[in-house]
Amino acid sequence: MRALFTAALALATTITLLFLALPVAALFLRVSPGDLVSSLGSSVARDAMVVSLKTNLIAEALIVVIGTPAAYLLARRRFRGRALVLTLVELPLVLPPAVGGIALFAAFGRTGLVGDELNALGFSIPFTQAAVVFAVTFVAAPFYVRPAVAAFESLDQSVLDAARTLGAGPGRVFGRVALPLATGALGTAAAVAFARGLGEFGATIMFAGSLQGVTQTLPLAIYAEFAREPDGFQLALALGALLVVISFAILLSVKLVPSWTRYALTLPFRSATSS
Amino acid sequence: MTGSLAAAKLTVFAAASLTGVFPQIDKAPRYNFAGSDQLAFQITQAAPADVFAAASPKYPDQLYAKGLVYKPRVFATNELVLIVPRANEARIRSVYDLRRKGLRIVIGAKGVPVGDYTRKALAALRLTSVLKNVVSEETDVKTVVAKVALGEADAGFVYRTDALAEQRDLLQLALPARARPKIAYELAVVKATKHLQAANAFVARVLGARGRQALRAAGFGLP
Repeated sequence: MRALFTAALALATTITLLFLALPVAALFLRVSPGDLVSSLGSSVARDAMVVSLKTNLIAEALIVVIGTPAAYLLARRRFRGRALVLTLVELPLVLPPAVGGIALFAAFGRTGLVGDELNALGFSIPFTQAAVVFAVTFVAAPFYVRPAVAAFESLDQSVLDAARTLGAGPGRVFGRVALPLATGALGTAAAVAFARGLGEFGATIMFAGSLQGVTQTLPLAIYAEFAREPDGFQLALALGALLVVISFAILLSVKLVPSWTRYALTLPFRSATSS
Repeated sequence: MTGSLAAAKLTVFAAASLTGVFPQIDKAPRYNFAGSDQLAFQITQAAPADVFAAASPKYPDQLYAKGLVYKPRVFATNELVLIVPRANEARIRSVYDLRRKGLRIVIGAKGVPVGDYTRKALAALRLTSVLKNVVSEETDVKTVVAKVALGEADAGFVYRTDALAEQRDLLQLALPARARPKIAYELAVVKATKHLQAANAFVARVLGARGRQALRAAGFGLP
């Protein structure tokens, strides 16, 4: 009976791993290393890498700089409608990205909700690199903010109280106590949000369009190239392989790096409170 | 009864610009509307298509050369037009206005039939500088139409039939005659079909009186 159970678990694990890993492995088997390098040297590939990197770094900076204090407030304050606000923050996690694209048009498009105001200020968002940043931020932000709220919620209240008792103002408690304590979790969340942002497709292609060197990110380049004769499929495979490597590295680093940062950062506080 | 049952299983891969008219000709098949280049690619990857209808002879002819489809036949013609949002805030009166700096033009990507026709037309007019105002290259004609109809883009190049289908939100401007590329639609039965009879019946229907009438009503030309 126990052997049967173990065998069933092993079977389920094998099926899961095969199903998830086989397509990824196949991607690499279809591109020879030589093709990979020469494809990635093409102008489409290089432009897409630059656009992806630039827009995602800006989006990530916005998400972390604005999202962190927002998450701190949402975590530490109890107010009416808090559940509603948290649900709003989560919504882009489950929305089809195409809905995100339409919603961005409805809000920030020329004919959108604040389109006239933006026009008056001389801004026109759709089809620009700013539009890519908007799309990436909209889709990736919840991947940072939601875990960040959870991280700040799980801080030991007595530690924060102790800091207040010792005379630290609320800003100092946030900057010198809460933030260092949550660094590991925030780092993980930021990395996951970045990985999600790199893969953003649906909202971007609608709201920002697709133009090489301007708005065409790596996923958009894959979509634009895969059906193009004669060698678009090769290029799409190469770009796909590149995205897999980057995403894998990010997700793996999340598992390896924070384990020691969190330990190093939390240890003194934990020993202080438990003694 | 058996005829409609067989037809119900039929899968037709058709160019996005046929989205409106094909279901009018025959509402029984399952349709997959997308850019002709993407559909052709899917067929080379053994997608379960019975009939392939494209907005250009290029892809059916390629598949025919590869032995993947039976001989393609021309069933309709179309015309490339310039569209602007009905409000036309950019005050575009002709294709020559598109050279103005700062305009936002949306066109089909290279390799997508409508995108290739657009580049051909601009080259014929010696207006390739217009391409500098292109803000997005779309993967099928319908998304070009949508972005102009929304008023988010100032202009785009699409087929006359797509402009007609959205005329509530769009104005269409004709191109000079010498810049109008010859646009022929071809369809072919996919060799791997398991419904050869129904597929042939569908092709006959498109080429027949009913098909011609619907195509003409939608603004297509007839071969």
